[in-house]
Amino acid sequence: MTQRGALIARAAPVLACIGLLALWQVASLLLKNDSFPTAVEAIRAVPAILGDKEALINILASLRRMAVGFGVAVAVSVPLGLLMGRSRQVQAFFNPLLMVIYPVPKAALMPIIMLWLGVGDIAKTLVIFLGVSLPVIYHSFEGAKAVEEKMVWSGAAMGLSAAQRLVRIVMPAALPEILTGCRTGLVLALITMITSEMIARQSGAGNILFNALDMGQYDTVFAMIIIVGAMGICLDAAFERVRARLVRWSEPQFDMPLSFS
Amino acid sequence: MRPRILPTDVLLGTAPIALVLALWQGLVSFGFAPVTLLPPPGIVFGRLLQQLVTSTFQQEIVATLIRLFGGFLIAVVFGVGIGIAAAASPAINSVVRPIVRVLAPLPKVALYPALLLLLGFNHESKITLVAADALFPILLSTYFGASTVEQKLIWSAMAAGTPRREILFKVVLPAAMPSILTGCRIGLVISCIVVFLAEMITSTDGLGHVLVTAARTFQAVDMFVPLITISLLGLILNGLLQAVRSYLLRGFPEV
Amino acid sequence: MIEIDRVSQVFQTSARSDHLALSDISLSVEEGAFVSILGPSGCGKSTLLYIVGGFVNPTSGIAKMKGKTITGPGPDRGPVFQEFALFPWKSVLGNVMYGPRQQGVRAVDAEAQSRALIEMVGLKGYENFYPKELSGGMKQRVALARTLAYHPEVLLMDEPFGALDAHTRTRLQNDLLNIWERDRKTVIFVTHSVDEAVFLSDKVVMMSRSPGRIRQIVDIELPRPRRRTELLLDPRYQKFVVDIERMFDDDDEAGPGA
Repeated sequence: MTQRGALIARAAPVLACIGLLALWQVASLLLKNDSFPTAVEAIRAVPAILGDKEALINILASLRRMAVGFGVAVAVSVPLGLLMGRSRQVQAFFNPLLMVIYPVPKAALMPIIMLWLGVGDIAKTLVIFLGVSLPVIYHSFEGAKAVEEKMVWSGAAMGLSAAQRLVRIVMPAALPEILTGCRTGLVLALITMITSEMIARQSGAGNILFNALDMGQYDTVFAMIIIVGAMGICLDAAFERVRARLVRWSEPQFDMPLSFS
Repeated sequence: MRPRILPTDVLLGTAPIALVLALWQGLVSFGFAPVTLLPPPGIVFGRLLQQLVTSTFQQEIVATLIRLFGGFLIAVVFGVGIGIAAAASPAINSVVRPIVRVLAPLPKVALYPALLLLLGFNHESKITLVAADALFPILLSTYFGASTVEQKLIWSAMAAGTPRREILFKVVLPAAMPSILTGCRIGLVISCIVVFLAEMITSTDGLGHVLVTAARTFQAVDMFVPLITISLLGLILNGLLQAVRSYLLRGFPEV
Repeated sequence: MIEIDRVSQVFQTSARSDHLALSDISLSVEEGAFVSILGPSGCGKSTLLYIVGGFVNPTSGIAKMKGKTITGPGPDRGPVFQEFALFPWKSVLGNVMYGPRQQGVRAVDAEAQSRALIEMVGLKGYENFYPKELSGGMKQRVALARTLAYHPEVLLMDEPFGALDAHTRTRLQNDLLNIWERDRKTVIFVTHSVDEAVFLSDKVVMMSRSPGRIRQIVDIELPRPRRRTELLLDPRYQKFVVDIERMFDDDDEAGPGA
């Protein structure tokens, strides 16, 4: 009974994918628009892209920049967020600056950063770093702020120093919230990567997408959309598994992904 | 009540912003960065004020705002509607949940070329992209808020004679309001970001387009102006939403 | 007034195990009676109240109100919860007016009635306050007024004073009795406090747990109106309290699950 229920729950996203693709197929057959290929045609074009050596190298290079940008952003943002959550002064210091930066589209900085740093890896990685940082800082901050004061007091009573309390009590207690931020950040890293490549039009997955659009290769456009979409879904699903393992002890969380965009 | 903002906090908070501006000015003044690459803040803000009063720049702002609000409002209507429906009905929930699981982590901006092909290069494709991006945070927070409404609140209303179909509007919706507004706040910032990016990728008007035009001609000053404008718009809209929020939630305890 | 006939309630706790929360409960409550349901936590006393309220459907057996089977909540049975469950987006007046407005009473009349009720529960001057601005005791007064406002025939009180400090608790007990003396509505009052049950009730239904069963029904034959300070010195009151506590002690000695 429950095993069947679990099976259905696991199969549901796959079914949803199939359903959405079927919907696409029907819509494109009905519209009969040259620039709107059917789902089957688009899927057929996927191996061609992944088989093309140059395209594959391009996509892998994109992913490498994304991984570096994400990693550095998490390493910097989590400590900063935790400090902001535990110290009123640190919070007062950084909050207004972050509020001003928050609504700035990070990928939009691409032209300016390119002007300064050229079109190399550093510029693209920097943009991803900027895109990921804010949600991770925000969630770490909220997580650290919500840590029960008495728990920190208990640590102090056991003789832990301020730094030890932050690492050994505040960080694990805020971990569920930190990981929620990281999950959001991961999806955001992918978005920033694609967008900045669309704007810079030099290389990468976003560039392939728009080159194909300009050249009227509509199968390739939609095949790239499938590839990028699959990357997003797989990264999110993989991260969710890691998250669920790391915070097994915490209250079962809200199990729909709470990522922005 | 919300904690009082201390004067020292204001001082601390303005310090980093002042520092950034000073560093910016310093880099130019001491010749570390050429003025063509990094124009000094005075020139940038002067240019901003000068632009704000011209009608061409105002038209760009209006174009951006139309897309921003169009997309955001569509996202609010669908997000709140679907979120409440998914919380109220197990049948709808079992359909919506897997679809959301798949679509929420999908980078919507990748759909933009498809939207361009299907809806053309005008407002429609950009509004749809903004709506698609802002939809999920609003939907998810609405669902979260609506599905965690205290059972006894609903029971109290039912005992007072509220029919089941009215419970949704009289109890679930107002009780989920704090969550819904949090979702709207995230959705609004995303709308600002996405509309700008869409205009940068392909457009003939709007703030994003202004930035791209300036970038093509290496006019560094004009690149900063639209960026600062969108950031200011974001802050103003966020402030307005904050005001709506504190009015609507005047009864709720601070969280 | 209320007939509970061989009601059982099973909750599915996990895939494999079921929990028998209530086992074969039969009970009748006469009109105008103040009946307490007393028992340790987990004995299903609140569940029994929710079944009478129509919020929970029993697994087997039926509950009737005035001869009609209870199928859902209705304004003839008004709940007051330990958690207050006030609408945070409505003011004190708005909360109290909710029921009458829902019953189709004109706004002017509903407001007049509600203001009178707010005064009766001792909160005159707080009409425009929001629940968050009130203390726990005041919130529970509002909750009581909100329920009384739609004139239920039975009050269903679910550990209403359980979240309050001892001092506020006694004050509210006294005030509840004073209000009750006016029209002697039927009250079913769930509590785990022996003093509270004996002080307030005509009848105390003692429950034991695992599974939830009626252990014994004790008639509290003490004169009304009752004054707390007099009652505490009254040997009859003391004997009721001690007898009931001894019975619970015996249950505990018989071991868990007995």
